[in-house]
Order: sequence, then C-alpha cells, then structure tokens
Amino acid sequence: MADIAVTDTSLARTRITSLRRFGRSDARFRALTFLAALLVVAIFIGIMVALLRGAWPALSAFGWGFLTSTTWNPVTEKFGALPAIYGTLITSALAMIVAVPVGIGIAIFLTELCPRPLKRPIGIAIELLAGIPSIIYGIWGLFIFAPWFQQNLQPWLIDRLAGVPVLQDLFAGPPYGIGIFTAALILSIMVLPFITAVTRDVFETVPSALKESAYSLGCTKWEVLWHVILPFARTGIVGGAMLALGRALGETMAVTFVIGNATRIDSSLFAPGTTISAAIANEFTEAVGPLYTSSLIALGLILFVITFIVLAAAQLQLYILERRAGGRA
Amino acid sequence: MNRSRYFRRRAVNYLLLSLSVCATVFGLGWLLLILGALVRDGVAGITPALFSQMTPPPGSNGGLANAIVGSLLMSALAVLVGTPIGIFAGTYLAEYGRHGWTAFVVRFVNDILLSAPSIIVGLFIYEILVLQMGHFSGWAGAAALAAIVIPVVVRTTENMLLLIPNSLREAAAALGTPRSLVIRTVTWRAARAGIVTGVLLAVARISGETAPLLFTALNNQFWSTNLNAPVASLPVVIFQFAMSPYDDWHRLAWAGALLITFAVLALSIFARTLETRRS
Amino acid sequence: MNDMRPVTPNVRVSIQNLSFYYGRFQALKDISLPLYDRKVTAFIGPSGCGKSTLLRVLNRIYELYPNQYARGKVLLDGENILDSGQDVNLLRARVGMVFQKPTPFPMTIYDNIAYGIKLYERLPRSVLNDRVEHALKRAALWNEVKDKLHDSGLSLSGGQQQRLCIARSVATRPEVILLDEPCSALDPISTAKIEELIDELSNEYTIVIVTHNMQQASRASDYTAFMFLGELVEFGLTEQVFTAPKNQRTEEYITGRFG
Repeated sequence: MADIAVTDTSLARTRITSLRRFGRSDARFRALTFLAALLVVAIFIGIMVALLRGAWPALSAFGWGFLTSTTWNPVTEKFGALPAIYGTLITSALAMIVAVPVGIGIAIFLTELCPRPLKRPIGIAIELLAGIPSIIYGIWGLFIFAPWFQQNLQPWLIDRLAGVPVLQDLFAGPPYGIGIFTAALILSIMVLPFITAVTRDVFETVPSALKESAYSLGCTKWEVLWHVILPFARTGIVGGAMLALGRALGETMAVTFVIGNATRIDSSLFAPGTTISAAIANEFTEAVGPLYTSSLIALGLILFVITFIVLAAAQLQLYILERRAGGRA
Repeated sequence: MNRSRYFRRRAVNYLLLSLSVCATVFGLGWLLLILGALVRDGVAGITPALFSQMTPPPGSNGGLANAIVGSLLMSALAVLVGTPIGIFAGTYLAEYGRHGWTAFVVRFVNDILLSAPSIIVGLFIYEILVLQMGHFSGWAGAAALAAIVIPVVVRTTENMLLLIPNSLREAAAALGTPRSLVIRTVTWRAARAGIVTGVLLAVARISGETAPLLFTALNNQFWSTNLNAPVASLPVVIFQFAMSPYDDWHRLAWAGALLITFAVLALSIFARTLETRRS
Repeated sequence: MNDMRPVTPNVRVSIQNLSFYYGRFQALKDISLPLYDRKVTAFIGPSGCGKSTLLRVLNRIYELYPNQYARGKVLLDGENILDSGQDVNLLRARVGMVFQKPTPFPMTIYDNIAYGIKLYERLPRSVLNDRVEHALKRAALWNEVKDKLHDSGLSLSGGQQQRLCIARSVATRPEVILLDEPCSALDPISTAKIEELIDELSNEYTIVIVTHNMQQASRASDYTAFMFLGELVEFGLTEQVFTAPKNQRTEEYITGRFG
C-alpha cells in the first residue's frame, strides 16, 4: 500500500508537467488547422478580387454592353463577350444532352446488369475516362477524331439533313471537322464519368426493401428502375449532372484544340466558334495593350460567376441529399 | 392476366436495358479509341532521346527532357506546399469544425474550388504573382498547381477522417490524450492509406494540367531549373507542338501525350489499389 | 461480492444532483449516487434510460461533442470534476474507460499499451517494457500475445482486442475504470474471461460497468443502480436489488416483465 502511495505522488507530478506541454501544443495545432482552413477561403476571395481588379478596365470601358456585344476586335480595341458566352453555354448544353442519358445508362448497367466479375474492371475503366488529362482529349480530337468526322460522318449528315427544316440550319456545311459540335461531343465524353459515379453512388443508397417490394409485385427490372430507383435517386443525379456541367463550362484544353477559335455566333453547330476558356488560353499571352488583357480577364470573371452559380446549385442539391440520407440513418 | 400486355412490358424491359449496355459500350469505346491512338502514334517517339534531349526548333531532332524535368519540379513543389495545407484544412473540417458555421463556409468554398475552371486559377496567379514579379516564372507555375492540389487534398482528408469511427477518438481521449495528439497519433494514422490516396490523385490531376501553366510558368525551349524564370512543362509543350504545323513537333507531342497519360493512369490505378486494400 | 463487510466502504466518487442535457433534451434527471472505493458498481436499465450517458459524464468524454451539458456535481476524492477548472485530459488519465466495441489503435500490440503510458511519463525502455508486460498480464492477455507484441493490434480476435483495451486502460494507472457494455460484442467464452478479469481488477480499482445483461450485473457487481427514463430508481447492494427490490419498476425489469 505504502509503495502505491509513493508512486501516486510522483505520478501526479509527472502528469502535471505533461499537461502544461499538452495545453500549449493543443492550442498551436488547432490554430494551425484553422489557418489552413482560412487559407482555402482566402484563395477563393483572392480569385474574386484578382479577377474583379483585372477586369475593371474592360468593364468600365464597355459597361453592360460587354455582355451583349458580338464584336471582338483587337485591332480597334472593341471587345464583347457574347460569342464566347454563347459558345461556352451551347457546347456545355450539348455535352449534357449526350452525357446525362449515357452516364445514367452506364450506371444502370453497372449496378443492375453487369456480371459481378466485370463490375470492377468496367467501373474502373469508366473512371479512367475522368483521369485522362484534358490535353489528351484535345490532341486526340484534333488529329484523330476531327479528320475522320470531316471526311466520313459530317458530309453525309449535311447531305441527308438538307431540306429538313431547323435541322438543315443546325447541321449546315461546310464540313470543317472541328467546331462547336466536335467540342461538345468531346466534352460529353469527359464529363460522363462524373455523372456515372454520382448516379452509382445514389443508386446504392436506395433501400433494398424498397426494390424488393417492387419486384415482388411482378415489376420488370426496367419498371423497378423507372418507378422506384430513379425517382428516389433524382436529387442526387441532378446534383451530379450539375457538377458535371460545372466541369464542362470551365473545361479549357480539350475545347481549345477542336473548337476552331472563331469569335462569332453561327446558327450551324458544325461551324467553328469559341468558348470563354478557349479564348483566354489562345489569346492571353499574345494580348497586347491593357484593354485587350483586361477584356480576357473579364471573360474569366464571367466564367467564374457562371460556374460558381452552377456549382453552388449542385452543392445545394447534394447537401439536401446528404441531409435526407442522414435523417434516415 | 393479359398476356400481350405482359409481352409488351417484357419487350420494353429488354429494349431499355440493352440501351444501357449500348451506353457502356459507347463509353468504353472512346476509352479504347483514345488509348489505341495514343499508343499507335506515341510509341514511335518513346526513345532515349526523348528523355535526354531538349525540345528542338522545328525541323531538327530533339526530346522533351527540359519539359519533363520542369513538370516534375513544379509538380513536386506544388505537392510539397499543397499537401500539408490541404491535410490541415481537411483536419479542421473533420475534427474541429464539423457542424460549425465556419466549417460550412470552408467546405462550400472548397467544393467550389475543387470543380472551378483551372484556367481561372491561372489568371489568379498571373494577377497576384506574375504581374507583381514582372515576369513569368516556375514559382508562379508551382503556385498555380498548388492551388489546385489543396482542394483535392482537403476533400479526401475530410472524407477519410470522417470514416474513422468516433469510438476510436473516444478511446484515445479516454486515456487522457489531448485532442491534438488524438488526431496526430491515432486518427491520422488510421486514415493514412486514404489520405495518401488523395495526395496521389492530386498528383495525377496536376500532372496533366495545362491551362493554369499557360500564363504562369509559360514555356522555355532550353534547359532551365531556375524557378525564377519561365519553365517548360510537358502539357504546355504538347499544346504548343500539337498546334504547330510541323510534323516532327507533332511526333514529339504524341510521345509526350503517351507519357503523361500512362503516368497519370498508373498513378490513379495505384491509388485505387491502395484504397481497396484498406477496406 | 463474496463477503458482506460490516462497515460501508469509502466513497470514491460522489454524484450529486446530476442532470444532463443533449441540447434541450434532458437525459439525466437529478441523479445522486455514491461509487464505493474498490467495488464494482453496475448501471442497469432499459435502452435509453441514461446509463451510458451517466458513465460518459464520469470522465467528461461527452465534451467531445457540441450541445451536451452536465449540471450538478461529481466529486472524485472530494474534487468536483465538472468544475471548469478541472483539466479533462488529467481527469481522463485518472478515470479510464473501455467501450462497447473493442477500439484497438491502428498500431502494434506493444504500442497500443505503451501509448497511454508514454503520454504522461517519460520512462527508460526497460521500465516501459515491464509496464507493458504487467498491464498485459493484468488483462490476462500476456500468454496469448507475448510472441507477437509487434503485430498489429487489429490482428487479434474480438475478445483479445477487448482485453487489449482493458490492458491499455490499466497501464495508465487510473483510479476508476468505466466499462460501457464491454461484452456486448463478444462471444460467451470471451465474456466469461472479461467478467473474471473485472472481479480481479476490483481489488485495485473502483469499477463502474454499464450492462444490459441482468446475469452479468448480478454476477459481476457489488452494487447496482437501476435507472429508468433518466432517473435513478433504485440503488443498493447487488444482492439486495436483485433479491428484494424496493421499487416495483425494478422488480418488473429484473424479472423480465418489461424492458
């Protein structure tokens, strides 16, 4: 007993000295993590401030007209953002039209149809599409896809659709190979994996009891998907699609290679065009004069605002989903 | 029971499910086409000269040595700077902030940065570094890449730490371990494989990034490890060479593209195996 | 447990008018209760009665989470541990805890034990080795792990992991050990081993065990507290609570008529 008492007092003493050390290092560590977290916010605010400051000369020179003008003339120093905004929106919209159904289709295949041993390899292969750097899509699109498209598919399409109202204007010649349509197609492949990944994740959150009860009514696989799984997963899929849209809007290199860099708005989807990011990538280092540079930064600001809105909305959708899932658990 | 109605339902079932098979074939098809073309057009360019010689002027032979070294240098620097910041910020979100208002803002902003256009990051660094220093530089390139690394590492660190059950934190705290030690010696250790995966994915992500380097690090035809001057990088050289009209530059661009793609894919597959071994 | 001592033992921990809140929900209502020195006290009651909550107040582990508050007093050797001046880390070094599911740290068996010791004491290697060995022996685990001390703690079976956690807790030389349903994730044989161990440890430590298993409470404890809906319904010698409960709800619960 006496022995224990002696160690107890010495133990108490060493404990007290340890504690003093702990108190200091605890506070330091917490402050460090907090500073790192603040730095993330600082980067975000820094981006906004830097873009606003850089864009200011152009915005004050052109005012709101910058958004609606179609002129982009470095020689006369008259700049308008509309063609680039149009190109950005139209390529991304087209990409989503292709990527959303295909992405969901792949998710359906992987979760409901795929034989088990193939599930992992195919899943990884689809995710690899997201891993390929965008410049690779660009170089492939420029050297492989565009020439093939120009020589084989494009003339045939233009030929067939001539005389069909609306479509004949959308798919009007001449066949360049590169252009809005090609850029959109390549974008769609790039964002496919994002949609598939999110869709798979939300499919897996569907309670199996729900699926089983639908099957036990005699529903076919498709009917279970359409009436039970998809409605349940809708919020998540919308969130995933918007995330993918955010990526598509800001994608630079793949588009820069294949869009043709023509600052105009053409009714034909086969015509060359430009996007905000392609214009910046192509012209920024060559831009002479403060107004030219500033106009490009202003384009960047517009892109940042558009993607911010889309990504924030996507975030909101996914938060709702998370809260719902959390509430159930 | 109505037989013909049932047959119709079954037909619809088969039709639509086969469409999903088509979608998968469509997706996999592109992957094969792209990888196939890369190997076909790139493999001829993979020679010792590629790694030992400088980028040539058009019409002469050369390699990509300076671009490879520039890429490695800037990526390494970006990871070195970005990883600790990302891990600390992710730790704040998972361990200290959790449900607080600050954490909500940081998390939201981080998720925006994660998907924000990388060319915007380039513009940002141009404004705050290149303009201030008066010239393009490797430092600016590395800073732009670091700004891309941080959100990736923050996201994975937070996710991985949240997977660690609270009971483990409680058990460590119940021994009288102060909070910071619980994190450093127990939760970080338990989440290590996941955090490493996140860092590898971030490396994979920046090794292909071109847009943020275009007007930060610019390009350099010559051997230079001086980060205070413009530095060549693999993606930017590929961009420049591919957009040029010269055939020998195209060949080098393909070889570089093959190199980057396989490096990136190998990294992400490696990261993924790490991830599955953990679970 | 075996002999009825004529005099009441010393009070080690005195819980006085303790109330506990999860946000606005009051989980404990004005609990007063002594914990006797070197005795095993069991907290029993139906799920949600607050028995685990009460345990989690005793080392203030609840403070890891926001919006949880305790009101009242918990005196450990006469000091109120709920005082804001009380250092929680020091408190937790004095009041150890073992959890429902085994929680080995992701490190070797040796490091799992040495971890807690090294927090507060700087010891030469040989002394540290002795302390680790001693703790593993106390937890009746030494013979099973002495040849693989440098294997991962996660490589052990569930019952061994739980004894490892007990050893880890013992190694830091606490005064009180809290056990939160320590056998609920274990098979009957491992459970028997842990119960034996609890009996053994009660010679040296003040032990509190939360359990939903009536037999376990009657077998392993000296004193029993029955709780219901956040209130302490009955407290007394285990024998008395189980054979002659004073309260009707206690009797109904013990005989299995509800809960």
